[in-house]
Amino acid sequence: MKNRLFDALRASRADYTEIRLERSWATTVAYRGRRLEGASAGLDCGGFVRCLNRGRGWGIVSFTSIGRLPSMVARAHEMSLSVPVDEPIRLAPIPVRQGDVRGDLDGDVRGIPLEEKQALLERLNGEMFGVDRRIVDTQAAYHDEVTEYWFGNSDGVLIHELRPEVSLSAVAVAVEHGIIERGLESIGLRRGWISIQAREELFLRAARRAIALLHASRIRSGTYPVVLDPKLAGVFVHETIGHLSEADFLAQNHEAGALMTPGRRVGSPELNVGDDGSAAGRRGTLPYDDEGTPTQNTLLVQNGVLVGRLHSRETAARMGQRPTGNARALSFRHPPIVRLSNTYIANGKGTFEDLIRDIKLGVYACDALGGRAHLEDYSFTSGYAHMIRDGKVAEIVKPATLAGKLFETLDRIDRIGGDFRWNEMGGGCGKGGQAPLPVGEGAPHVRIRDMRVGGELA
Amino acid sequence: MIGPLIEEAGRRAHAADVAVKTDETVTLTFEAGRLRSTSYAEERGTNLRVISNGRLGVAGVTGEDTGGLIDRALASARVGDPLELLLPEAAPLPRVTTHYPRAAAAQIEELVQLGRLLIDRLSRNGCQVNVVVERTLGSVQLSNTQGLEAGYDVSGIGLSAEVIRVQGDQAVVVGDYLAGADLPGLPAIEAMVDGMLRRIEWAERIVPAPSGRMPVCFTGGSTAALLLPLQLAFLGKSVLQGASPLAEKAGEQAFAAGFTLSDEPLLDARPGSRPMDDEGVPSARLALVEAGVVRHFIYDLETAARARVRSTGHGRRSTFAKPQAAYSNLVVAPGDRSLAELIAPVEDGLLVDGLLGVGQGNVIGGAFSHPVALGYRIRQGEISGRVTRAAVAANAYDLLNRMVGLGRELQWIGSSAAPAMLVDGVSVVGE
Repeated sequence: MKNRLFDALRASRADYTEIRLERSWATTVAYRGRRLEGASAGLDCGGFVRCLNRGRGWGIVSFTSIGRLPSMVARAHEMSLSVPVDEPIRLAPIPVRQGDVRGDLDGDVRGIPLEEKQALLERLNGEMFGVDRRIVDTQAAYHDEVTEYWFGNSDGVLIHELRPEVSLSAVAVAVEHGIIERGLESIGLRRGWISIQAREELFLRAARRAIALLHASRIRSGTYPVVLDPKLAGVFVHETIGHLSEADFLAQNHEAGALMTPGRRVGSPELNVGDDGSAAGRRGTLPYDDEGTPTQNTLLVQNGVLVGRLHSRETAARMGQRPTGNARALSFRHPPIVRLSNTYIANGKGTFEDLIRDIKLGVYACDALGGRAHLEDYSFTSGYAHMIRDGKVAEIVKPATLAGKLFETLDRIDRIGGDFRWNEMGGGCGKGGQAPLPVGEGAPHVRIRDMRVGGELA
Repeated sequence: MIGPLIEEAGRRAHAADVAVKTDETVTLTFEAGRLRSTSYAEERGTNLRVISNGRLGVAGVTGEDTGGLIDRALASARVGDPLELLLPEAAPLPRVTTHYPRAAAAQIEELVQLGRLLIDRLSRNGCQVNVVVERTLGSVQLSNTQGLEAGYDVSGIGLSAEVIRVQGDQAVVVGDYLAGADLPGLPAIEAMVDGMLRRIEWAERIVPAPSGRMPVCFTGGSTAALLLPLQLAFLGKSVLQGASPLAEKAGEQAFAAGFTLSDEPLLDARPGSRPMDDEGVPSARLALVEAGVVRHFIYDLETAARARVRSTGHGRRSTFAKPQAAYSNLVVAPGDRSLAELIAPVEDGLLVDGLLGVGQGNVIGGAFSHPVALGYRIRQGEISGRVTRAAVAANAYDLLNRMVGLGRELQWIGSSAAPAMLVDGVSVVGE
């Protein structure tokens, strides 16, 4: 593979050429109720070529027949030549590295027979039914992947990696007197077979949550002091400041650019936000991004002030900044675009109890079922929530929808706890048709003075 | 290549079927009115299913090399769920045109011209125009151990446009989409442009959002919140799992009498059209809702076998997973009124053109609560301006029961189509 890549790079007539070749082994097992939905293994192979010429645009090619690499490089070059551009595309320089990174395969999943993976999931799925008779339905899924990855470009960067991934997800459905409730849990790790063992607790939690929600009441819609748990706070910062800090979006979208002016104060001096693709052992962590740039920790908000943006080589050159190692591609089928890696709110001070002590009536919103944001508008659904009454966590309530305007909300963050945690949720991030990209999020508990909470549905 | 594979699979398993799909796509991306990149993608995927010792197994691979594929499918069958599955025999296929030589032969220059035409028509001062032009050529080949061997070619042209206008510290984003198997004609492009420009004009003035129960008109492109629950509820699999709220309503009036929903695989030139499904079952139109009455649910071979009914011809295969039931073209039957006629009787209400966050939460239950991403206030039967802070909270099944009018223009989003729908008594929360 390495020789193929070398030869193709050498033969290219374009000013800049980059090639990725991937071979990905993946296994999926899924249960619905007590029945196995399916267990299968797939092999996904392919390549990606991108060429750039002076005064011309990108020519981009992807293919599944790796034997056709030489003709695909020629095609990408031709396609680049067919795009005259007025504004030249430049790439900010990056260090020329030759890397061979074999991620810790942690018990290589490729060596484990399908029967063992199926047996593991069957047992975990069964745990949910064991919790209570009112658990009438479940969904359980196991997924693993090992991707062998080669990257090379005409600047001399050459990288070889083995990237492992493993995830479990659990959905428990409880029914009583016509009321249906769900509990959801998931875990996703850049690890292997060993780290995914002994995860019964995850499945038990999903089932217990579904049962607890059966007798939960709905929150009365209104404005409350809200404390976000680290999971929901992490998802919130990813969907809002995280995505708004992606330089490709800022360059294309004047309004977003205006919202995100560097130096703008967006929160209290305790608010620090960043994106760290180099954080040890996290799901969004990689040694290099898909342009060969080493990953790093990039501060986005420092002491409440916007200070940074996330870049590819192209957006960095356009804005006169340095690449941050955030150009990522979902697979060989896609070009690298500016993406988040591990987005976080940094630690503040104080315990969870300190945050809720002086709240007479509020909401403790936990976990995320989903979240979307568009510019300043956001809407999130928590996985579940508790009322806070007289400074204490009180009864569980049904999932709450939190919606509002980002900068108003940031301005109302009045406490950031000192109990930072990285999330280990499965799933992933979607942008430009590339989903799910493995990412990580982290945060401590965060308190927001007034937040609009929708609990009752029509 | 498909022949030897099915032969060997047939020798090693009780039964087998294989689908080979190829695709090649040219994509032109225009940003801020300028061609920014051209890309080409080709993909070949082979999906093999075997039945061995009464159990189903599946495996997939990309590229030409299918070595090891049968072994992996057999390994999958060893842990697979027992099921009696009869693969279909060869049968005559209905006629539908899915491949247009003119679209297949279009040169990159022609596609660039299409993009430039859209940009010229949409460009206005203070507006940014982004356009994507896409041309796909594909093929589907099927073979099984019952002797079925069939295939067809598809062509596809997709045009999508987005106009962003900055308005003080607010931006209006208006998007639209045109997709079909043939090159679009000028009238279709003009209609798309007119619709987008009209919506941009409407958004020039920002007016306060109304609050309370009121008539709401959903444009064809914003009906996903109403139709997504139905897409799940009409899956035979949801019925089997006891998850479909419509399962017990077959034959009953569950929606307003004006509401008709069908799956339409045999429409010429539409994105989801096909003469057969990916399991070799010949395609046919299927009524899901007729004049408000729940009719049929969709099944692929496996869910049909489990439910002891016949497949409705809705198996869809991707490279790596086992076949899943999926719609071809999902179409809400249009009414007879123009959008202007539809909103004319509304004294005070909302025209919703986009909701934020559709698809979150418990979709099949039908309940939703979404901020309006793009919406306009209707006063005395006319659009008075854009509203920026409003949310709609409702239940899709309930809304489709209270639908009082339908537009005559179908808006296609990918392979689903809906007209504008006017609904009475929708709960709107303005700020």
